[in-house]
Amino acid sequence: MKKSALIFTSVTVCIMVALLLGIIFIEPAETGDITETMKDAVLHENDKIDFFGLPVNPGFISAVIVTAIVVVFAVLVRIFAIPRFKLKPGKFQLLLETMVDFFDSLAKQNSPHKNGFLGAYIFAAGTYIFVSTLLELIGLQWTSIAGESVTLGAPLADINGAIALGVLSYLVIMSGGIATNGFVGVGRTLKEFSLPISMSFRLFGALLSGLLVTELVYHFIALSFVLPVIVGVLFTLLHAVIQTYVLVMLTSLFYGEVSEPRKKKIKKSKRGLNAAAAK
Amino acid sequence: MPLNIDWRQILLHLFNFCILALALYFLLYKPVKNFMEKRKAHYEEEAEKSAKLKSEAEEMKKEYAEKLNNADAEIEAKRSEALHELHVYREKLVGEAETEAGQIVEKAKKDASRERKKIIDGAGKEIADMVGAATEKLVLGSTSDAYDAFLNAAEKSIEKEENEIK
Repeated sequence: MKKSALIFTSVTVCIMVALLLGIIFIEPAETGDITETMKDAVLHENDKIDFFGLPVNPGFISAVIVTAIVVVFAVLVRIFAIPRFKLKPGKFQLLLETMVDFFDSLAKQNSPHKNGFLGAYIFAAGTYIFVSTLLELIGLQWTSIAGESVTLGAPLADINGAIALGVLSYLVIMSGGIATNGFVGVGRTLKEFSLPISMSFRLFGALLSGLLVTELVYHFIALSFVLPVIVGVLFTLLHAVIQTYVLVMLTSLFYGEVSEPRKKKIKKSKRGLNAAAAK
Repeated sequence: MPLNIDWRQILLHLFNFCILALALYFLLYKPVKNFMEKRKAHYEEEAEKSAKLKSEAEEMKKEYAEKLNNADAEIEAKRSEALHELHVYREKLVGEAETEAGQIVEKAKKDASRERKKIIDGAGKEIADMVGAATEKLVLGSTSDAYDAFLNAAEKSIEKEENEIK
């Protein structure tokens, strides 16, 4: 056995023994009521954050941080990576091209008409949902108006963020209907009146459930071993991918449905019928 | 509002998302898509070019195979054509040579007859001169000899008489 491996193993064993001793001998601190924790996670009544004088939920701060991160990344890529793109792509170029192509193809497959705008929208929405859900993993801390430390969760686990994206997706679908079919397109979109609510609350429910499960797990110290790896990391990764796919797929499907051009009804005149009969 | 729904925050979320969407569209989506389309167009053009070249090459191959098949016949045709041309050329050369030879002979004959005439004319005159000279010589030669003989005899008789006197 190598010396470095021996040192690493002994240090790890020592840390684990120290942790076990701590768990056994230290008295647990008083934690708040689980009901209160859950209520706070859903309603954010007590953890408002000051945003240029406006009291906002932590989810909005997360959204702003996600936007800042993504925009900075996009600017860097635009300045340094895109001008160096080659005909034979490298790994990073391939990743970017795959992402753009995935959303573009999804838009083209589900909506054969007027899909240029749809591709751009679902690319933005998909990136936003995916990156903002992964922000949960970092667990950024912020100070609330009350002066308490607040962990920033996923922006879409905030009902306002979820409603905003759901309603915007519905409006985008409606715009596709108007662009192709005019007033009939509006009618077709309004027929699916439950869509904004279902989309918003699907996002909200899915991301909030992840948050609540995580809160629940971290609330009890006994559940803090091994389980957070599955709940915190795997579930977050999984529902980041799943929710991204679900929203962009639904948006592009409904967009394709309402933006399909009307088939003109052929009026069968008597003369036409007679001519057909004569043949 | 129930569930802490706040219209102002919804609008803030919408505003935030619009910024993100616009930035992503102009900074990532559009440039990457443009690049992919350009590359697609480039490869389509290349494929079109190579297809055209391939068809041209196949046509040339077919043409060459056909040429190769007909090469023996073509070589034979070329050979007979060359022989024919050679024959024609030889005939032409021989004809020209014969004409030239005839001309030369004709010219030689003419020259010879002219020379003969010239010689004959020259010879007559010369003979006449020779005859004249001979006659003159003959005539003049015989007179002087007799005279000389007379003088000699006279001299000899004088000398004899003088000796006898002595």
